[in-house]
Amino acid sequence: MTAVTDHDHTDHMGRMDHTSDYTGDYTSDFETGPTKADPTPAAGREPVRESLRESVRDRVPDSGAEAGRYRDGTARKHADTGGPSREVHEATEAPEAPGAAEAARVAGATAAAATATATTAEIAAGAAAEADNVPHARVREQREPAGDDPVTGDDPVTDDDPATGDDAWDDGLIARRVTETAKAAAPAVETRGPGAPAPAPLAYDGPLRSRLDALRELVGLSRTRLDSKTLAEAGRILDEAAARRRLSGQHTVVALAGATGSGKSQLFNALAGVAISETGVRRPTTAAPIACSWSDGSAALIDRLGIPGRLRRRPVHNPEADAQLRGLILIDLPDHDSAAVQHREQVDRILKLVDAVIWVVDPEKYADAVLHERYLRPMAGHAEVMFIVLNQTDRLPGEATDQVLDDLRRLLDEDGVALGEYGDTGATVLALSALTGDGVGELREVLGQFVTERGAAARRVAADLDAAAARLRPVYATGRRAGLSEEARDEFAARLADAVGATGAGEAAERAWRRNANRACGTPWLRLWRWHQKRGVPPTGRLQKAQPEEEATARQRVEQAVRTVSERASAGLPAPWALAVREAAVRGSQGLPEALDELAAQAGLPPGRPPRPGWWPVAVLAQAAMTLLQVVGGLWLVGQISGVMAPNLGVPVLLMVAGIVGGPLVEWGCRMAARGPARRYGLEAERRLREAAAGCGRARVLDPVAAELLRYQEVREQYGRVTRTGAGVG
Amino acid sequence: MVTLDVRPQLLDTLSALRDRVAAARFPLPLAGAPRARANRDELLAQLDDYLVPRLKEPEAPLLAVVGGSTGSGKSTLVNSLVGRRVSEAGVLRPTTRTPVLVCHPEDHHWFSGMRVLPDLTREWVPHREPGDDLFLPGETPARVLRVETADSIPRGLALLDAPDIDSLVVDNRVLAAELICAADVWVMVTTAARYADAVPWHLLRAAKEYNATLVTVLDRVPHTVVSEVSRQYGALLTKAGLGDVPRFTVPELPESAWGGGLLPATAVAPLRAWLLHQAQDPGARAHTLARTAQGLLDSLKARMPELAGAAAAQYAAALRLTSAVETAYDSEHARLRGRLQSGAVLAGDALKRWRAYPLDCSAGELLDALVESLAALLLCSVTAADERVDDTWRREPASAASGLTDRDPSLESAEHRIGLAVRRWRRELEEYADDEVRELDRSVAPDSEVVAALVATGLLGGRRTRVAGERLAERIGAHGALRLRDRAGRLLTEHVDRVLHAERERRLAPLDGLDVHPEPQAELIAALSVLQKER
Repeated sequence: MTAVTDHDHTDHMGRMDHTSDYTGDYTSDFETGPTKADPTPAAGREPVRESLRESVRDRVPDSGAEAGRYRDGTARKHADTGGPSREVHEATEAPEAPGAAEAARVAGATAAAATATATTAEIAAGAAAEADNVPHARVREQREPAGDDPVTGDDPVTDDDPATGDDAWDDGLIARRVTETAKAAAPAVETRGPGAPAPAPLAYDGPLRSRLDALRELVGLSRTRLDSKTLAEAGRILDEAAARRRLSGQHTVVALAGATGSGKSQLFNALAGVAISETGVRRPTTAAPIACSWSDGSAALIDRLGIPGRLRRRPVHNPEADAQLRGLILIDLPDHDSAAVQHREQVDRILKLVDAVIWVVDPEKYADAVLHERYLRPMAGHAEVMFIVLNQTDRLPGEATDQVLDDLRRLLDEDGVALGEYGDTGATVLALSALTGDGVGELREVLGQFVTERGAAARRVAADLDAAAARLRPVYATGRRAGLSEEARDEFAARLADAVGATGAGEAAERAWRRNANRACGTPWLRLWRWHQKRGVPPTGRLQKAQPEEEATARQRVEQAVRTVSERASAGLPAPWALAVREAAVRGSQGLPEALDELAAQAGLPPGRPPRPGWWPVAVLAQAAMTLLQVVGGLWLVGQISGVMAPNLGVPVLLMVAGIVGGPLVEWGCRMAARGPARRYGLEAERRLREAAAGCGRARVLDPVAAELLRYQEVREQYGRVTRTGAGVG
Repeated sequence: MVTLDVRPQLLDTLSALRDRVAAARFPLPLAGAPRARANRDELLAQLDDYLVPRLKEPEAPLLAVVGGSTGSGKSTLVNSLVGRRVSEAGVLRPTTRTPVLVCHPEDHHWFSGMRVLPDLTREWVPHREPGDDLFLPGETPARVLRVETADSIPRGLALLDAPDIDSLVVDNRVLAAELICAADVWVMVTTAARYADAVPWHLLRAAKEYNATLVTVLDRVPHTVVSEVSRQYGALLTKAGLGDVPRFTVPELPESAWGGGLLPATAVAPLRAWLLHQAQDPGARAHTLARTAQGLLDSLKARMPELAGAAAAQYAAALRLTSAVETAYDSEHARLRGRLQSGAVLAGDALKRWRAYPLDCSAGELLDALVESLAALLLCSVTAADERVDDTWRREPASAASGLTDRDPSLESAEHRIGLAVRRWRRELEEYADDEVRELDRSVAPDSEVVAALVATGLLGGRRTRVAGERLAERIGAHGALRLRDRAGRLLTEHVDRVLHAERERRLAPLDGLDVHPEPQAELIAALSVLQKER
């Protein structure tokens, strides 16, 4: 059924990437759906189906399983069953439009029966296609124009011509649902195989659905970070869950698995009540899986397993047993431990697709490593959909059965398989003998109850989901807190400041300011002496300032800072995300040293002359006054010595001493007073550089890293939603 | 007919070969390493437990090991062959956890010592009344071989009931494989339900590969299907190229079920007769011995190169890891040298200090800043190299070996080591400067710290600090400046090289600790060729 797989594909892809596009597509499905859902012709065809059913019933005893095999019906089989069926066949075949209309109607009808979400319409279309291969292609043809042509969709015609588009119901989800349940109950059984109610597709309950959606989103979010191999398993589970949901929810697919010679086929036959599967002493006996369905409508499910038509059987007709096991599809698998490798491959393939597994073990092989290590341990999470059956108890004497059963339980416990005892949920362990029929009844009962619950498929998907989540755990969660701490940010800023040399620059600025202050407020004599000194000393680095600096920032420090911060940020992350964070940091750090160079050049020194404090002129004045005192005192002394003035030693000497002592005093005072402003000036220069560097680093490195961390956080939360426990049964 | 011709030289070369095999190690977790380790252990077991003792003492009793799947009735078969319960049989799987060796009382000395199976401690049970409870619960410590004696076993034959080969208990599987390695005759037991199982067939193929004397027993066959199952099994054996292997069928009898008792003597008579014939007829016995021994010797031809190949793969992987480290450090070293030359050290703080020197910055401060900057540069180089190594190693499966990647977070200690080295360089530089200054015969000797700072600046600042050289020349003369600069430069190169070398060695140390060398490969092949020559 290529069409189904095709749908499967588009469905998955569509939901992944462009949901909005896809709803349009869904709508188109619905347009065709209710359009044709008109009860009148369906009622007219009702007798036809009745007669067809009878004819097939008549044939059953004649051709045995052969007849039942095709009960679900392909067109070919309909043709074979003669007159009445040919009518149906013709009805579907006859004119182009009605044929398509019919199939499409089933689509709508089935969707209604399921009262499911919008997506189920599509599933139902698939189910309809399964009912009749021939019109299926046409359904698709029909659907496409309907989807492309919005005019038909808006057409408010509501007459009873089934061919015209009646699209009152494509405007809202709830309205659509209501009418479908109301309308479509009657034609729901259209064109089914005889007596087969259209199987309602499976519906998962809310938690499971949201977990599946979460996983889908998670896969979408992490596609860029993780390689496809890691995500393959999750993708497969999503695909299988979607494929299973599209198929019958009334049926439960149960596989009989076990080692060669454990009596799988024997048990299969015992359950079916007829020798369907070949049994024998030749090992391995069963080479290909055989399906047996207790009720109709299971064809699509069996198709999914890839079991060809010739290997599908019906159990012997037995009303009681049929009622008990209604909805069961039993699969007899080949062995998993024989030398025939292709058997194992088949088992592995089908075990991924079935809803539940009955592990058949025997007293000889129940402790085989192959069974436990290859299958039971990895599938321990699926305990709820597992039965472990100890077959061939007839070979065990007396109480040995209980002994072996206890040992088996112990082994299962060691495997981590939860056992369904004392009302817990878990695997059911039974002992029976398919040969003597001992205990088969019990299994039948348990199985009947299990099938009636109809929860196996959802539980299986939930268990798959758990397993996938557990497998993905290392790439999503590490159990450690991840994130960029404030400390790490500060350290990064400090390292960048080191790289631009903020401390050095600040200190240099401070000292330069102080030097200037000292020069301004120093005694003139000192300044004179300094000037003299300086003339003899050739200039050093100060003169280099004029040169353009190509590498003012320490590259190695920037590199190291980026490395450290990315290491800190990625510390608690799983490897792929850690790598992403590191890449983001490295990408951001490109060009960072150059930017810092530029910054350092701009922000290095405050523009213009350094600010002068208000007391400076006063100090200069005081210094000048002191000098003046000295000069005045000196002149006065000279005047006295030369006799120009009256000899009065006291005052001029006092003046001179005051000037001589006061000059350095003023200078010292100024130096003390300049300390504070100089410090402030230096700190200001340092702070400016520091902030500029930190800002640059934040914009280029920290922000991308934080964004990457945020993305991880998002994914981590999504993963948390996937792992949330609670199996869905809907 | 093959006969066994044993010369002392052969034994010598064999024990030399054994030592080579024992010395082979496969520590790197490569794809083939677990397989190679298993092969080595198996070969060693075969050499120690079988070939060497057998060649030394060809007259020792024939050892027939009964092996097979769990629940195939090995213990019941051994009990029936002996005629009394010597080995535990039961319905719980796996039943036999302690191997039991049964021999004639007079042969006991062959097995009580450590001649064969030296790894297993012996548990000697002299005699027990048949009515005794043989099996105390919880008595079995690991790796014990119970030796039983029974008169019903003829001299020159010993039976060993091995644990199963495929049960859940891993120890059992390992022990069974080891025991089978020690056998002269491999008795493979399978059942009607199991004869197509994959695991026993692996064992049969192994027997064929080693050309061991093999006999298969199809046990627990329901009466009704004896002929059909037997035919099927025969067909499978023929298809596998084992058509000529003696085949015995033991029917499933109520007695055989679940260890209740012994099978009637008639059920196991053909097998018993065959075994007796092998043990007692000198010709058959010699043939049996020679076949298994020669088969094992022949198998060495294929197995030794396999081991050698695995050893070579180990060495190649180790070489790849080593070269990744060397490449990373070499390229980082080159980059570091380039950066030193271009004056990358004189950046940031150091540059700011140099600009402020000498007005607003003292020589000591300048020197401090330079030293710190140099340490940062070195640390950056080392961590970059480590990062490159990690990157390359991440792609190598072999790097998963314990201790290679899970280093202690040694970044801090690397910083510490580099800091030490750089400070030592500074001290030595200051001593050099002191020397230079002391040699000057000027009245006003320049401050040695200033000299050191100027030399360091000139050395680390690249082209930008030519002026520092000029100033230095002014202070201690052009000649002295040049000499000092040269000496300081050499000192710097030496220290930088030493730091990088030490870090590289630290990185390589765990790899060296694994002791992966090219020699084992050559030695294994050489031992094999010597052996071939001696045969």
